[in-house]
Amino acid sequence: MNEPLLIQARALHKTYRLGKVDVPVLRGADFSMRPGEWVAILGSSGSGKSTLLHLLGLLEEADSTSGEMWFEGKPVSGLHGAARNHYRNQCVGFVFQFYHLLPELNVLENALLPCKISAGLGWPAARSAARARTMDLLHRFGLSDRLLHRPRELSGGERQRVAIARALANQPRLLLADEPTGNLDARTGGEILDRIASLHRDGLSIAMVTHDPAVAARADRIVHLIDGVVQG
Amino acid sequence: MYAIQLANRYLTSRIIPLIAVGAVALCVALVVIVVSVMSGFLDMLKSSGRTLMGDVVINYPVRGMPWYDDLVREIETMPEAAAASPLVDTYGLLRMPYPQGADKEVVTANVWGIEPASFERVTDYSTTLYWKPPASEADAAAMAVDDPRLQLNSQHEKNGLSLTQAGTNEPGMVMGMHVSIVNERQRDGTYRSRYGWFMPDQQVTLTLVPISGKGTVAEPRERLFPVVNEFRSGVYQIDKNRVLIPLAEAQRLLRLDQGTLYDMEAPPNADGSQPVLGVSPPRVHRILARAKPGITADALRAAVEIAYERFFEKEMADGTRVVKPPRRDLISILTWEQHLRDLIGPVEKEREMMRILFSIVYLVCAGLVLSIFWAIVQEKSRDIGILRSIGASRTAVLWIFLQYGLVIGAVGGAIGVGLGWLVICNINSIHDAIGADAPPWTWMAAFGMGSLSLVMALRGSFRGILLPTLLWLVTAMTLGLVGCGLLAHRGTLIWDPAVYYFSSIPSQIDWLTAGITWIGAVVFSVLGASVPAAKAADIDPVRALRYE
Ligand SMILES: Nc1ncnc2c1ncn2[C@@H]1O[C@H](COP(=O)(O)OP(=O)(O)OP(=O)(O)O)[C@@H](O)[C@H]1O
Ligand SMILES: [Mg+2]
Repeated sequence: MNEPLLIQARALHKTYRLGKVDVPVLRGADFSMRPGEWVAILGSSGSGKSTLLHLLGLLEEADSTSGEMWFEGKPVSGLHGAARNHYRNQCVGFVFQFYHLLPELNVLENALLPCKISAGLGWPAARSAARARTMDLLHRFGLSDRLLHRPRELSGGERQRVAIARALANQPRLLLADEPTGNLDARTGGEILDRIASLHRDGLSIAMVTHDPAVAARADRIVHLIDGVVQG
Repeated sequence: MYAIQLANRYLTSRIIPLIAVGAVALCVALVVIVVSVMSGFLDMLKSSGRTLMGDVVINYPVRGMPWYDDLVREIETMPEAAAASPLVDTYGLLRMPYPQGADKEVVTANVWGIEPASFERVTDYSTTLYWKPPASEADAAAMAVDDPRLQLNSQHEKNGLSLTQAGTNEPGMVMGMHVSIVNERQRDGTYRSRYGWFMPDQQVTLTLVPISGKGTVAEPRERLFPVVNEFRSGVYQIDKNRVLIPLAEAQRLLRLDQGTLYDMEAPPNADGSQPVLGVSPPRVHRILARAKPGITADALRAAVEIAYERFFEKEMADGTRVVKPPRRDLISILTWEQHLRDLIGPVEKEREMMRILFSIVYLVCAGLVLSIFWAIVQEKSRDIGILRSIGASRTAVLWIFLQYGLVIGAVGGAIGVGLGWLVICNINSIHDAIGADAPPWTWMAAFGMGSLSLVMALRGSFRGILLPTLLWLVTAMTLGLVGCGLLAHRGTLIWDPAVYYFSSIPSQIDWLTAGITWIGAVVFSVLGASVPAAKAADIDPVRALRYE
């Protein structure tokens, strides 16, 4: 326990406002992970699992009065603008239930996007290294012969593999996966989980949202989100 | 980098942006064509105004300016002036040699009495003379074989330049090309004689009405003039109205020539005549001045002001001269532009109107781009959410759509300028094509393609696919209508030289306008894109991503 935590969140609150009604989703959720840990977040539908993940990925802001967050010991809850973008680009990688690939780009281009975003105008210089790394990743995911295909030409499992490759393109420490197998049949889902497990063995930290206990069972640790609070 | 790639993909993967490009192109082409024609028209008006009037005009109508030779000399000493020429400007009646029989046609004409040599120096008058042989072999080869000018020797030209008929030495008249009815204009702008008349072989009778010093009308005077040549300035109103005769003749007919001045107040002499006061010098109504190359008309005008002041002072000081020139405030000294204000003003106003239309066209561009991008942003909001979730900044998202607008504006504008250029270059042939009946192959082709489309539509309906059927049907109907239109089309002359001043449509593209329009199209496309782009940048990534 001497090792610093990879990510730590304390007393997160998130309230949605629907017209005049406040809908509290998170009510002081605490969450933390050690480096290299695989944590499954279980909870019923509407319990706020996705919301928590979005907060951890700085995709969404917690209520202004609420808790704090650290990533690798550095506070990140107060970050704004460019720093938030940098965090999303470098520190975490998102995988969604519905893959969320850009339909106009082919597999390789989709997977390269985070590198292009981080390189900015320096892309021509960074290009060859990023390309080699991403090709390697895609190769590892068995997508070598689909590089120039558009997402609509791929199966669901293949799309999710591309999405994972994209999430890992910038070699983040933490993978945030929101029901990555939720849209896949059991066999394909299992295959995806195998790949995630293999990444985990290589040292990747994973926070995975699911409401399927069988999926959650593959994680190192399971937490439950109940009534806006993390338990377990 | 990825912003460019994405903008590029969004552009090329759907039809709507192409439609936007096309619409921007059409808007730009429209503006470029219209304003180029207007500007060309204005340029022609101004340059012909200049060839007709010189740069600066001194006017002292009706009474006429005495001692004008001194004034001309005074002006010509100014370093700004290249030449000056006196001019009598009046209206008269012309009895034409036609038709056969006693009842000859009579027309009114604007009569200019000129000194051919100095008039030529001021106005390049010789270039407007029509009846002269081709200047070179190449010119001759370019003329139609039945062009009567191929048969001419240089005699008519010499007569026209000197305003005298060689042989008889009679003072001659040079008429505007359209003063008589015998010159028939061809489509290529050349003339053929109608009814076998050739004006430079004819004589006309000119009647002028002198105005006395008291402002009353005196006995009209008339004279028979041989027509020695005809001129074509290109300005229809002038070619229709104006005739030129030697200055001395005009002065004589108008009693502006030299006379004796009697003292009407004093008691008469023993023989009943009034005592003589002195000479009344010949007079002219106008003096035209031309600037040296590089001198503006306004600069020359200022110089002429000074020249007039000097002239006036000298004349006032000269005790031998009983008749004095008019005070400065009784005459007008105008540049040709001011002088032709009536002609130029409306055209300039029309062009301003076009400039206002500009802005409306720009708004169309902007609105178009805005609505199309709005739809695209709406459709692409999930993509935008994805980009944000992997670290793209709001400015990057903004940039994607601004670039998108930039490309549409730049490409559409460039195509529009190209299109406008093509049309302008061929505007006279296009006009001629509209002016003629449609050749049969055009409507045959339209009907042929229309029937083909109908067949495609039928095929589509048999297969039960609705959209292609509908599109082919619409195409067939459009082509059918076009065919009917072409079939029914009878040549209509749009650019009627009687309505417009010039015999051909200006075919110079106004590159300045084209450039400004292009820039405008780019700017307004980007402006139009900026609203949806801002909306895109404001998209909440979570909201965009949450549901499929
Ligand atoms: N933008 C929003 N405005 C209002 N309410 C929202 C908004 N986003 C989410 N919610 C509500 O917040 C609650 C939690 O949503 P969230 O997506 O985090 O749940 P979840 O646990 O991921 O559910 P699921 O398992 O169905 O994905 C839900 O009741 C949802 O209706
Ligand atoms: Mg969810």
